[in-house]
Amino acid sequence: MRDIAEVMAELKAAPYTEKAVVAPHTGVVQFSDVEEGSEVFGPTGEWQEIPGTHIATITRERNPRNIVTAERGILRKVCRELDGTFVEAGTMLALVRHYLTRQEVISRLLMESLYTFCAPERARYYFAPDVDKKVKILGCRTVSVQEGMELFIVSRMKREAPLCYAGPSGIIYEVCFDQNRNVDAGAPLIVVCPPEQEESVEDVISRVEREWSDGE
Amino acid sequence: MNIQQHKVLIANRGEIAVRILRACRKLGLDFVCVYTAEDVCSGHVALARELGGESGLYRISSYHDANELLSVADDAGATAVHPGYGFFAEDFRFARRVEERGRKLVFIGPSWRVIRELGDKINTKRLARSLGVPTVPGSDRPIYDEMEAEKVARSLFDYQSQQGIARPVVLVKASAGGGGMGIEEVHDLDLFRQVYRRIRNYAMRQFKDDGVLIEQRIMDFNHLEVQILSDRRGRHPVHFGTRNCSIQSTGRQKRLEVAPGFDPSSVEYRFDAAALLDEIVQHSLKMARKVGYDSVGTWEWVVTRDGQPFLMEVNTRIQVENGVSAAISRVKGQPVDLIAEQIRTALGEPLGYSQSDITFRGVGVEYRLIAEDPDSGFAPWVGDIDRFDWTDAEWLSLHTHVPPVTADAPYTIPTEFDPNLALAIVWGKDLEEAGARGLDFLGHLRLEGHDGRGEPLRSNVEFLKNKTGQMLRF
Repeated sequence: MRDIAEVMAELKAAPYTEKAVVAPHTGVVQFSDVEEGSEVFGPTGEWQEIPGTHIATITRERNPRNIVTAERGILRKVCRELDGTFVEAGTMLALVRHYLTRQEVISRLLMESLYTFCAPERARYYFAPDVDKKVKILGCRTVSVQEGMELFIVSRMKREAPLCYAGPSGIIYEVCFDQNRNVDAGAPLIVVCPPEQEESVEDVISRVEREWSDGE
Repeated sequence: MNIQQHKVLIANRGEIAVRILRACRKLGLDFVCVYTAEDVCSGHVALARELGGESGLYRISSYHDANELLSVADDAGATAVHPGYGFFAEDFRFARRVEERGRKLVFIGPSWRVIRELGDKINTKRLARSLGVPTVPGSDRPIYDEMEAEKVARSLFDYQSQQGIARPVVLVKASAGGGGMGIEEVHDLDLFRQVYRRIRNYAMRQFKDDGVLIEQRIMDFNHLEVQILSDRRGRHPVHFGTRNCSIQSTGRQKRLEVAPGFDPSSVEYRFDAAALLDEIVQHSLKMARKVGYDSVGTWEWVVTRDGQPFLMEVNTRIQVENGVSAAISRVKGQPVDLIAEQIRTALGEPLGYSQSDITFRGVGVEYRLIAEDPDSGFAPWVGDIDRFDWTDAEWLSLHTHVPPVTADAPYTIPTEFDPNLALAIVWGKDLEEAGARGLDFLGHLRLEGHDGRGEPLRSNVEFLKNKTGQMLRF
């Protein structure tokens, strides 16, 4: 577990991440009139129903699809040389510099200060059916875990096997994986908050509230 | 359109993509290959680059995305799509879309109507029963309701008890599954619901359809297959003999296949094996004629120890193990490549021969080299391979997508797909010679993991060695 102050200093030194906007699939790409250096937004609204800033449209099989930014930030680069061409999946179309929000900083600090249960190998992970139901209906913070509990189903190469939780008892504070995507070995699956650490969570939150302002 | 003017989109990966690539080259056809980020280092990508250059390669996000595949076909100017096996190979909607879109393409496989008719286990069962072809007792439609499922299971337990079976067993299968995935046995009716729920959840996760089939578990059987081929007219299907695929892992994955299906000259059976093979071939041809089957396909059978056959299902695609049937077959005295035959006939050429032109000789054995651990219930093994060497021989053909590896440049097995690494096909003039050659091949094979890991890979080779002595036996 790292020192919170140290992590906080690191985040303050570089309070942003740079993320590439890539082609989600093959197709012919047409850029919108966004300019490099302009501000872009992620999806907003109560249900995230308002899409992010429109960067480009990719068309395949006569199905156009808007490519939008997933996060708020500054558009650092637009690959206009690709305008009107057929691109492969994963081709970079733009680069966005995203400044960390308070919530993201809290999440990062908690990752450092709480126990994270990581993927033992690259695979797809699903919660065991009972846990899955509880997480979906009541939220992850209602689920208590303890050592040896059958918590996940690991799916790789089309085979499935159960995976037991190993670590301190507590509640699932955060879920870090998407059930339909592969998780790399060593990547966090869940963040667990043991009862004795609930106080330190409050401490982290109040510290960030005090020391961090959005868009810093 | 002349066959040589066609350009084939290979909508698959790995070993089958390599074989389709080679078949295209053999026929003088141009091709275009696709790959995903996980397959950047795969041998099929390297071979496509070597034979066709960068222009014949497209990086896509998923092999499961039909829009993506068709957009690549359009951009590359492909005129035909070969789906290989898995992915879209048995998806009649995809086949229909390929054939009926604005810019039409040729689907290298059966026509979509045939796939719809036979690709569904339930339809196949109904058709078979209507033609007097024996099928495995069980449900004749997918079941979505737990109470109904239990009712069917109970009736199957009762039926088996009436037949004098001491320990009745039923199978719970994911209706949309295949390749041995999503199947479990139930020995006790009290445990049925638990298994049913597990399979239903698995089916929903893997196939997005939680329909389940319930069948009697036939004990003590051999798994046989009949290889059928027909041209686009679908009137005169021919067969390329039978295969025996009984040697499987605990997860019902085929590990060793032998052609022909039985060898009465080397092994003693309780029944007339030659007559039984002829019976299942004739039943399979009867069904193929009835539906106008117009490509390669496999009729899968269960044969009990006392020689009773039951049709399980029809695979409306090229099978992994097609090579072992080709190894024992000659057309007008010449070797045959079933993938090339599939492509050639799909592109409109007539078959050009009849059953009497096909002859069979010797015994073929196919070993599947797979990254899994036989000592841990055949769980997939994840890791890097840094040694994969074998000794070439004129009686051996090996198909793999694993590129040349060294300790400095190992191959990382992707976890997103089946753990198949290679197929080795060995031929011998009889069962004894084929077995001896098989053991010779396995004895000289060096398949090792990186940094001294990979004990499961060696165990796998040992498993195949041990099973070689059990070929074609009950």
